[in-house]
Amino acid sequence: MLRTSALQSVAIQGRFGADKGQPGLMLSVVHPLAIAMVIARKGKSKVLKDALATLKSVNVLWAGPDQYYVQSTVKSETALYIELKTKLANIASVTDQSHGRVTIRISGPKARAVLAKGTPIDLYTEEFPVGKSALTQMAHVGVHLTRTGNDEFTLSVFRGFSESFWEWLTSQSAEFGYQVG
Amino acid sequence: MLIPCPHCGTRPVEEFTFLGDATVIRPTSLEPSSMDDWMDYVYLRDNPRGNYAEYVQHSGGCRAWLVVTRNTGTHEVHSAVAAKAMKAKP
Amino acid sequence: MSGFRIARGGLIDRSANLNFKFDGKSFTGHQGDTLASALIANGVHLMGRSFKYHRPRGVISAGASEPNALVELREGARREANTRATIVELYDGLTAQSQNRWPSLENDFLAINSLASSIFVAGFYYKTFMWPKSFWEKIYEPLIRKAAGLGTASKEADPDTYEKAYAHCDLLVIGSGPSGLMAARTAARSGARVILADEGSALGGSLLFENEEIDGTTGSTFAQAVISELASMPNVTLMPRTTIFGWFDGNIFGGLERVNDHVAVPPPFEPRQRYWRVHAKRAVLAAGAEERPLVFGGNDVPGVMLASAMRHYANRYGAAAGKSISVFTNNASAQRTAVDLQAHGINIAAVVDTRKNGKIINVKGGKSVKSVSLADGSHFECDAVAMSGGWSPIVNLMCHRGAKPIWNETIAAFTPPDMGSQFTAIGSASGKMLLSECLRGGIAAGTFKGKTPPTPKCRDEAFAIQPFWWVKESTGKAFIDYQNDATAKDLPLANREGYGHVELAKRYTTTGMATDQGKLGNVNAIAILAEAAGKSISEMGTTTFRPMYTPVSFGAFAGPFTGHHFQPVRKTPLHEWCVEQGAVFVETGLWMRSSWFPKAGEDWLTSASREVKATRANVGLCDVSTLGKIDIQGKDAGTFLDKIYCNTFSTLSIGKARYGLMLREDGVVFDDGTTSRLADDHYLMTTTTANAARVMSHIEFCHQALWPEMDVQYVSVTEQWAQMAIAGPKSRATLQKIVDSFTLNDETTPYLVAKDITILGGLTARLFRISFSGEHAYELAVPADHGNMVARAIMQAGQEFGIVPYGVEALSIMRIEKGHVAGGELNGTTTAGDLGLGKMMSTKKDFIGRMMATREGMVDAARQCVVGIKPVDKTMKIRSGGHLLNQNDKPSMANDQGYICSVAWSPMLNMWLGLALLSNGRARHGEVVKVFDGLRGHHYLGEICDPVHFDPKNERLHA
Repeated sequence: MLRTSALQSVAIQGRFGADKGQPGLMLSVVHPLAIAMVIARKGKSKVLKDALATLKSVNVLWAGPDQYYVQSTVKSETALYIELKTKLANIASVTDQSHGRVTIRISGPKARAVLAKGTPIDLYTEEFPVGKSALTQMAHVGVHLTRTGNDEFTLSVFRGFSESFWEWLTSQSAEFGYQVG
Repeated sequence: MLIPCPHCGTRPVEEFTFLGDATVIRPTSLEPSSMDDWMDYVYLRDNPRGNYAEYVQHSGGCRAWLVVTRNTGTHEVHSAVAAKAMKAKP
Repeated sequence: MSGFRIARGGLIDRSANLNFKFDGKSFTGHQGDTLASALIANGVHLMGRSFKYHRPRGVISAGASEPNALVELREGARREANTRATIVELYDGLTAQSQNRWPSLENDFLAINSLASSIFVAGFYYKTFMWPKSFWEKIYEPLIRKAAGLGTASKEADPDTYEKAYAHCDLLVIGSGPSGLMAARTAARSGARVILADEGSALGGSLLFENEEIDGTTGSTFAQAVISELASMPNVTLMPRTTIFGWFDGNIFGGLERVNDHVAVPPPFEPRQRYWRVHAKRAVLAAGAEERPLVFGGNDVPGVMLASAMRHYANRYGAAAGKSISVFTNNASAQRTAVDLQAHGINIAAVVDTRKNGKIINVKGGKSVKSVSLADGSHFECDAVAMSGGWSPIVNLMCHRGAKPIWNETIAAFTPPDMGSQFTAIGSASGKMLLSECLRGGIAAGTFKGKTPPTPKCRDEAFAIQPFWWVKESTGKAFIDYQNDATAKDLPLANREGYGHVELAKRYTTTGMATDQGKLGNVNAIAILAEAAGKSISEMGTTTFRPMYTPVSFGAFAGPFTGHHFQPVRKTPLHEWCVEQGAVFVETGLWMRSSWFPKAGEDWLTSASREVKATRANVGLCDVSTLGKIDIQGKDAGTFLDKIYCNTFSTLSIGKARYGLMLREDGVVFDDGTTSRLADDHYLMTTTTANAARVMSHIEFCHQALWPEMDVQYVSVTEQWAQMAIAGPKSRATLQKIVDSFTLNDETTPYLVAKDITILGGLTARLFRISFSGEHAYELAVPADHGNMVARAIMQAGQEFGIVPYGVEALSIMRIEKGHVAGGELNGTTTAGDLGLGKMMSTKKDFIGRMMATREGMVDAARQCVVGIKPVDKTMKIRSGGHLLNQNDKPSMANDQGYICSVAWSPMLNMWLGLALLSNGRARHGEVVKVFDGLRGHHYLGEICDPVHFDPKNERLHA
């Protein structure tokens, strides 16, 4: 069944903010996305890590001690959930979070400058390399932050906060000019 | 103040929630005679100047409960260990 | 020199004219000027009136320490009071007003205070306005407030935006003079991440105005080369216009970047100011030193200025403080002023050096300097006086965490305490007064590894000082603290009257208060106070240094989090559907909840009453997505829940839901909700909306700190599901139309069932048969992205039955009709027994709160417990908060029997109903009590009854 993004009515495509030539950054909503929270059962940290490494067509992101977000853009949320439930039986507890979190991609030369207005995390490449995830707070909202490229990050927030968070993110991006794709 | 979260790295204190004394031990007895121990556990707290071990949750990060030891006089943070790991030790 | 503008030199662009207005009069300055330098160049020396005596005042300094030249900058909504003209960068169209004068700066009515100054001594307010007490609020305070104070704030909303940001570095260099530049360059060349911050509009510090020679070139040329090199390096961030205002635990520094204070209106999308939090692995303080005034009669007449400020204005801005100048000093540095000004063609009338027993006793002049008279009886005509009372290292930041600075006899100044390697002081901020020492110190501080690079060659100006604090022979007023009008005589007075401790003397005399926090005056005050008290300066010590170093606007602290951005807004997945249905929303914590759904002309009560009646008659749909939902899994999930809840969950059948009650460890009720068992090792807990986050945190604590041996995992799934309550006699028929391929009846879907189903042709959903309204009811959870669509489908399905949306007001009415406890009763004071739920507490297991709930006071029969209450006169409105008394008792704490927690208008029973807490209440059903409403000053009779007002046998639930 076709899913409706929580940001459907606010994340309008186009060019916004200051006009200083090329936009300083690009913002887009990653939707639909299948997300499962996977938490190791007692004593299964290592077994879980190994099992996650064998999964195909998914991204595995650190999301706390012995916890991971397993994401897929090609599998349906139900398919992903059932697959993980089956493969990780007695290894991990699995919950479907596909609809509970809204994921925003931010990229471009000013991406780090905008994020620095929110997170106390040092995003310097040596401190926060590509592939690293962190849990933090930005604008009073809990954020799961992942570096997906040199100048590219994804931010995932609780669905209920997503509109408010989007407002903050775009207002902080405006001085550099941004493109919503 | 910065707290070295064992899972997330060093983060500012705003991301954390303090609960209090981490040295108190929950009594196991349910006998009426143990009531004094329960009263101490629930209500009695020291307020030392100097080193103090407290339960602190990284509520704005990984959500893990930590035992953070700091000097209440100087605000120097000595260590932050996952409460789970702390408890696992004998 | 035409007027007071020097013909050549400096860092201003004489080809770029900037027009500005001061007190309504038009002037012209140049690009690179400050407001103060432009006024000086225009021959304006009178810039303000003093706080207490309304004495005419001119500019004293050329920087952040300025106590006198405070102006109201800009107009209308952008007006900013108490702004130092010395740090305001001139821009075209700038407008500024002088302050604290009426009707005008030239003719200030309250200058009469100066004539009455013998009564305006320190402690005047404390001594004078003591009695009669009633006069204080009505007469004294309004009068004082009118006379005192500086600029006035704009009362309009600030149209500009402010930001916050974090920065990280290996080395933070505070100050960009010779020491700071060397530290930054050395560290940057070795690859370290460097931030160089300076409060000035241009980097370079003292090299911008002092005549120095470094590496065979001028100081200014040398600085420009270093700055260009730093600007080209990717590991360096240059932050001019940024004041590092505080040092905090963890080597975190607060910074204020004045992004667009130097333009009239910030460019579109840009903030006016940005508040930085800098996390520095290491930091160096290279903030320099502040020159001190000398204390002598008339040392506040416009035209009396710090010697270094006079050089600053002449060398950097090409602005001459006067045409003939007297220099008064106790140290070698002021010699430079004489030399530099003479080079600009300015006459030096006299150089008076206390080290050669020279003393200026009085300055003659009112609104400008006319002459000076010396102790030896001589007089010199002049129009300005340059003074130097020595140099104070700017130690503030290094003392922000409680340490005190250390007195150094050699340079007669306080120097920074040793704060370890994380934060060190260099250059004149550390009391090193020679340029070569500054350069060398900077290089050492910037060296991270390997050998220290060589120091550039430079010329040193000698520095020597003989402490001299106060020309006691002066007959005119000798000011210590210009901004507070504290004079030298105030300090011995404070000591005589028992306020000799440095912190007490500060409060008694107001020395060191207000926007400049004693940057110029404090050391002089301490020295004079020490002498009066017969102590050494070291023994007297300083007052406490606290952030902020200079004033920081509230806008910067608030950042973007103002107005409706003050806190994030949390919307449910059904928000759009609620809006379509005309919902009025209420903030519940951060959530926006639909409160009622009015039709045209309905007020909240009419709407909520209609919603209740329609739901109880037919069917209603309510958004309950805000309830906390926690997914709990693991081998020990059931055992764990037995610890968390006072009742038992390990025995709950799979596919069933059960009401659970949670206590705090002290035995008081914490939260409640229904928890379902979805599989052997899988539960779904619901919590109240208000406590969702607290319960989550509690669960995490109980597992990780108390029982980590348990195999249990938990995660919030509140946001994953859109949850709807479908309640009323037609709820089953409505739902039947959207569920896939099964018949809803008491066999497939008995009361308290919890099952996974599909709806609308394959959509995953969870169905619970539970009820908060007391009606035959269900809760349906669907993945959030589908919430609005499913709600619309249910409305369509229920249309034939007369379905209505209902909000939290209707929900609340129905729960009160049914006597279900909620926030008003779960208020942090009640036990399970008080709520009538005592039997839920298991006696077969340990659980959080078990032992403490057995304490004598927690089980006392006289405790207040939940009862129903209704007015004896059924037409009366009752309200929450009314206290219950025995009918013949007078209202008093001793007679208090309890109070009303929750009330509602019951559309079913056509009267106001309530729930109350009443002492020994369960034994008192039927009793009539007096309800005392102290707030409204009346009382009435109420009848105590069973809390279940409506459908007492729960017949509707199972209908």
